[in-house]
Amino acid sequence: MKWFDDFFERSSRRAAHKVSRRSALARIGRLIVAGAFVLPVLPFDRVAKASQAVPQGGGKSKKGPDESQCEYWRYCALDGFLCSCCGGSPSTCPPGTEMSKVAWIGTCRNPQDGKDYLISYNDCCGKNSCGRCLCNFNLGDRPAYRMGLHNDINWCMANTSNMFHCTTAVVVGLAEAQS
Amino acid sequence: MRRYSRVLGCFVTAACLALPAWGEQKFETLSVAKLPAPNAHRIYLSDVSISHIVDNRLHVIDGDSFKYLGVFATGYAGQSTLSRDRKELYVTTSYYTRLSRGERTDVVEIHDPLTLEYRSEIVIPPRRAQALPYEGIVRTSSDGRWLFVQNATPATSVSVVDLKARRFAAEIPNPGCWIIIPSETAANRFSTLCGDGTLQTMVLNEDGSLKLRTKSARFFDPDEDPVYVQTANIGDRHYLVSFRGKVHVADLSEETAKLEAPWSLLGKGDAKPGWRPGGYQLFAIHRSSGRMFIAMHKHGAEGTHKNPADEIWVIDLTGRKRVGRLPGHGAVALAVSQAPAPRLFALDGVKMGIASFDAGAKPRFLKRMEQAAESATQLELH
Repeated sequence: MKWFDDFFERSSRRAAHKVSRRSALARIGRLIVAGAFVLPVLPFDRVAKASQAVPQGGGKSKKGPDESQCEYWRYCALDGFLCSCCGGSPSTCPPGTEMSKVAWIGTCRNPQDGKDYLISYNDCCGKNSCGRCLCNFNLGDRPAYRMGLHNDINWCMANTSNMFHCTTAVVVGLAEAQS
Repeated sequence: MRRYSRVLGCFVTAACLALPAWGEQKFETLSVAKLPAPNAHRIYLSDVSISHIVDNRLHVIDGDSFKYLGVFATGYAGQSTLSRDRKELYVTTSYYTRLSRGERTDVVEIHDPLTLEYRSEIVIPPRRAQALPYEGIVRTSSDGRWLFVQNATPATSVSVVDLKARRFAAEIPNPGCWIIIPSETAANRFSTLCGDGTLQTMVLNEDGSLKLRTKSARFFDPDEDPVYVQTANIGDRHYLVSFRGKVHVADLSEETAKLEAPWSLLGKGDAKPGWRPGGYQLFAIHRSSGRMFIAMHKHGAEGTHKNPADEIWVIDLTGRKRVGRLPGHGAVALAVSQAPAPRLFALDGVKMGIASFDAGAKPRFLKRMEQAAESATQLELH
């Protein structure tokens, strides 16, 4: 999902990278770390959190954020409910839902190996909003005139059932660094 | 006997102490409240209600008292816009025959903003963009005849709806482009922002079909410094802002959009703290004073373009300089009334409150409303 974004709930973090890439996705770049932001509404306590710089983290580190936390490294351009909190995982849709046919793409750096990966943010569709673990990061997000990099729209839009449920973050390749 | 029991009960419970003495409440007859007449400070707040996104709301709030006046049901990822004469409210939305599954029907609903009652609907192709509300996804033409609806499948097109005849009229592809910016000069024209850094302008025939399309010169870099899709106009000069704080002005008074030389919102000393614009409906313009109000945040970088505001800046568009700074209130959406004594409203994206400001010669914060919505992103004033 995505889109819907934002605001609501949680977030923070960011991370970015300094990498320039040949691919269109690109330019996502500069590494920054830091953070901030985001929005949300309900749990007000996140606001304080949001103003803190949170390094991107995760991987298999015991200390880093895990897959059910917004700060997990793959979620650098994810806007939606984490499927990891909804019965699925970063690469599986929850039981009984269907995978979106189209997706938006981000580029996130894995802190474990320092490499940048292409992440396909497929929504899972066919049931109403999961409502758990809403996250919103926008590294490399662009307005919808760059549709494949846009996270404020329902990526279940091409499915027979358009209902947005949650969002995955599938590692689909290595981002090609510009030589 | 029953009365006796009640009296007895009263003696043995403390609750009886709270009962009114001997008088009885006046009997009532149920009725429907009448709305006060709208004024320029009435707020229509789009709430995508993301935790139950199939059931969106458009909240109606009195911007003077911050009293909650009522609501429109806006379906799945609904979008709304008022008619030019403020006598109708258009909601574009999607419905499924079984709530979250079944056949999809997209409609333009016509509601009455004076009563908040539903009036009628126009069925449109089931391709409307189910997106977070952005003002330019649904817009009326300058004469109020056409409603332009951005579609996405994800291939992009625009549905043209004839509001006078109350029917869908035509569909115009705008591949690689997004958002609707109606010309204020010609009712049969709208422009759209494109991924190649240009503005395309669509000129319509009398039946709403495409007559011709033109393309502006390339004026922005979608990778390095993309423009937001939020726009605001003074006449047919339409203001756009880039992620890094450049102001572009597109003149849509002719068939091909003309761009003026861009300038920066940032003054000396603003670059180091990393000030950048941010949010969704991130700026608003008070036309007669030529002032822009824009949500700004510090430590801007790639990926911070939707961050809530640390400050709201007041920009003199003629002098191209900042003339005021207001507390940010976490703003992600702004709207300003056009009266001589304007009022600015800021949607707090962090706490989902609304802050109001006197937006006159000496802008200042007035007050806040808390918990105005669940997950709102857009404001429109009556």
